[in-house]
Amino acid sequence: MNRRTFLKAGGAALLMAPSLVTEAVSAREPSLVAVAEGSDFAAITRRAIHGVGGMKRFVKPGDIVVVKPNMGWDRTTDQGANTHPLVVRAVVEECLAAGAKRVKVFDNTCNDARRCYVNSGIEGALKGMKGVTCTHIEKERFKMVTLNGSFLKEWELYDEALSADVYINVPVAKHHGLSKLTLGLKNVMGIMGGNRGYIHRNIDIALADINAHVKSHLTVIDATRILTAHGPQGGSMADVKVLNKVIASTDTVAADAYATTLFGLKPADIAVTVAAFKRGLGEMNLDKIRVIKV
Amino acid sequence: MKIAPSRISQHLFLMLFLLLFVQTEYRGQDEINAAVNAFFRIDPLVLFSYLLAVKSWSWLLLPALLMVVATVLLGRFFCSWICPLGTILDLVTSWIPKSAPLKILKGTTKYWLLLPLLFSSLFNLNLSGLLDPIALLLRALTFLLYPLLGLSAREGWVALYHLIGEKRDGVAPAYNLIRDHLLPFRDTLYPLALLSALLFLAIIALERFETRNWCRNLCPLGTLLGWLGSFSLLRRLPTGTCADCGRCSELCPTAFDTGQFRKVDCLLCMECTAGCPHDRATFRFSLKAGRTFPHVPERRLLLGTMAGGLLLALPTRFRTPEQQSRLLRPPGVRSEDDFLRKCVRCGECMKVCLKNALYPATYQAGVEGIYTPLVIPRLGYCEYNCTLCGQVCPTGAIPRLPVEAKRREVIGKAVFDRNHCLPFARRTDCIVCEEHCPIPEKAIRSRNVTVMAMDGTTRTIKEPYIMDDLCNGCGICENVCPLETKPGIEIFAVKNHTPISPPVSSESPTNSDPYAN
Repeated sequence: MNRRTFLKAGGAALLMAPSLVTEAVSAREPSLVAVAEGSDFAAITRRAIHGVGGMKRFVKPGDIVVVKPNMGWDRTTDQGANTHPLVVRAVVEECLAAGAKRVKVFDNTCNDARRCYVNSGIEGALKGMKGVTCTHIEKERFKMVTLNGSFLKEWELYDEALSADVYINVPVAKHHGLSKLTLGLKNVMGIMGGNRGYIHRNIDIALADINAHVKSHLTVIDATRILTAHGPQGGSMADVKVLNKVIASTDTVAADAYATTLFGLKPADIAVTVAAFKRGLGEMNLDKIRVIKV
Repeated sequence: MKIAPSRISQHLFLMLFLLLFVQTEYRGQDEINAAVNAFFRIDPLVLFSYLLAVKSWSWLLLPALLMVVATVLLGRFFCSWICPLGTILDLVTSWIPKSAPLKILKGTTKYWLLLPLLFSSLFNLNLSGLLDPIALLLRALTFLLYPLLGLSAREGWVALYHLIGEKRDGVAPAYNLIRDHLLPFRDTLYPLALLSALLFLAIIALERFETRNWCRNLCPLGTLLGWLGSFSLLRRLPTGTCADCGRCSELCPTAFDTGQFRKVDCLLCMECTAGCPHDRATFRFSLKAGRTFPHVPERRLLLGTMAGGLLLALPTRFRTPEQQSRLLRPPGVRSEDDFLRKCVRCGECMKVCLKNALYPATYQAGVEGIYTPLVIPRLGYCEYNCTLCGQVCPTGAIPRLPVEAKRREVIGKAVFDRNHCLPFARRTDCIVCEEHCPIPEKAIRSRNVTVMAMDGTTRTIKEPYIMDDLCNGCGICENVCPLETKPGIEIFAVKNHTPISPPVSSESPTNSDPYAN
């Protein structure tokens, strides 16, 4: 069953009886989530990726790869509002080692793009790497995409994310005022153009709509330090908790579900996760997710 | 023929001016080491109008004071050795055919421009920047020419994308080089762009009548320098033309108007010494008095211009309450009166503003406030960690503050408009404003409320509210409010600019439970 037919079946099942969806999902291989812990962030990132099969599983020689961190805010690395540059760099290095022709790193930032790229530390961490671009968003590259979702019928998405051979989602785990947490599913907002604030009025359904269209081949969640309050941008070190963890999975919903537990919450508390699960985008039941510590 | 050293100097200074202009932008560093404000810091017109208006000293003005001393010693050399506007006129004038000089500009006209400006400064209205040549040039560049360059380059680049799509990446390195080092970061349209450009073009058009027409007949800075320079001990010899030759009067761009050499109009360009066929023309220090022009303007002129200054200063004061309520000044400006006395309206803060939050006032600040910078949050907000406007302001009208202090400065206060804000007006979730609020403790917060939605169902939504004592009025909430026309939250001006309290120290734990329902 490929993804399309699976989605169709899931959608049909959704209409008939919600219980069927759970069954359909549970029929699949249990989602694998690899969790690595340690103070060497590059090393734990690599371990987590190896835990889900290694980068060669996703990236083939000559591939164009998009690595999409969260670098939306003009905050320092320690403040935990952006993905840690060492995690991003390790992911990029793994892509190159797997034979990627080009790795593109970008984010549609909330604060001034120049300041975010510089102060997140990500631009600096990638400087001088061959085959790697870390460039600002260019407006003309947004393409209106038909989504036919439940809330979003169409939206402008970034062409580089759409046309890439591999899309790797590298969010940072942090608190969010509206959605409680922002993890892998919400990180996809960084490839959205237009008036993004619009989706806040129905954010869980909107994010399911987008994630159904843009599938992350691999999700690597940076939980080296997490922002426990005043997210998504924080700013106070009192809100930052160091966990030294990196989580990897091919199932964004499962990765998010596991990461939720790091905040002392249950996956069912996060409406965005629940909506994506109901849409059949992945597994959120922790007892059906295989978590391996690597 | 020898090239006069002033020609080399003025071209170097023009290049420096343009270089500093382009450098007056965030390029990855929080501090801008060299900005185009250097030209205002050596500008005696800025010095005098500041001293008259503010009536106190600022060390930022020291270079301008040194320029005054140099002018008193040497003469009006600024105009032909340094002034970038003068250099541009020298560059274009040979392309413009000349008719006869305009009579109306002769005589005391220039004093009728300079002195009312200085007198109105004395009466607390500092308008000198409106006619300061550096400011005129900078505004034309900032508000029209530079955005035009950026827009054309970007449009071309975008057109290439629509033509060849992602293949454009092949030539991206070349474009990126220009983009990163020359082009403005953001395409911005400014109000008063046309006026700024027209004034600049008018100055060029004046070359139709005689060379350096603006400089010798109008420019208030030039007039001031000419007056200061008339005390100079550096004299041109011979004092007039030689009986057997009149070559210098042909070479001289400004000072042989009346057939006689006039010191106030001599720009020390040294064209006469470089071009003298007999090597006679020279400049020497001498104590001999030989002035041809009075030091002190006549009484009638003095009284008339003083009345003019007073007339300027009073009727331009009027502002409507509606204008006042949205009159948001750059961060660190606490007193409107003090700000107006210091601001030279050069446009640098608007050029450098990271998020293009600053725009020149057209009508909002009354006639007296034209060209002064205003924060328009719906167009751009004040970036929390940025201190650039205070760094480039030549007179400290926008104070230069460390980032910790700047974050606490109050621009205004946010107010919700419940008729528009979604959670109130439409009973749906939103709080994009809370998400973007940069204050670590959040000046915008939300609480869960159970409401009856528009479809009659009961649901729990997040309703935002403002912590007034934490809000610094940066305007990001108004900027990002997803409503398409009128925002649901707006920044309003406040009289009390007491800085918000500093963030709680990182050691103290946060008491609030962000997940509590």
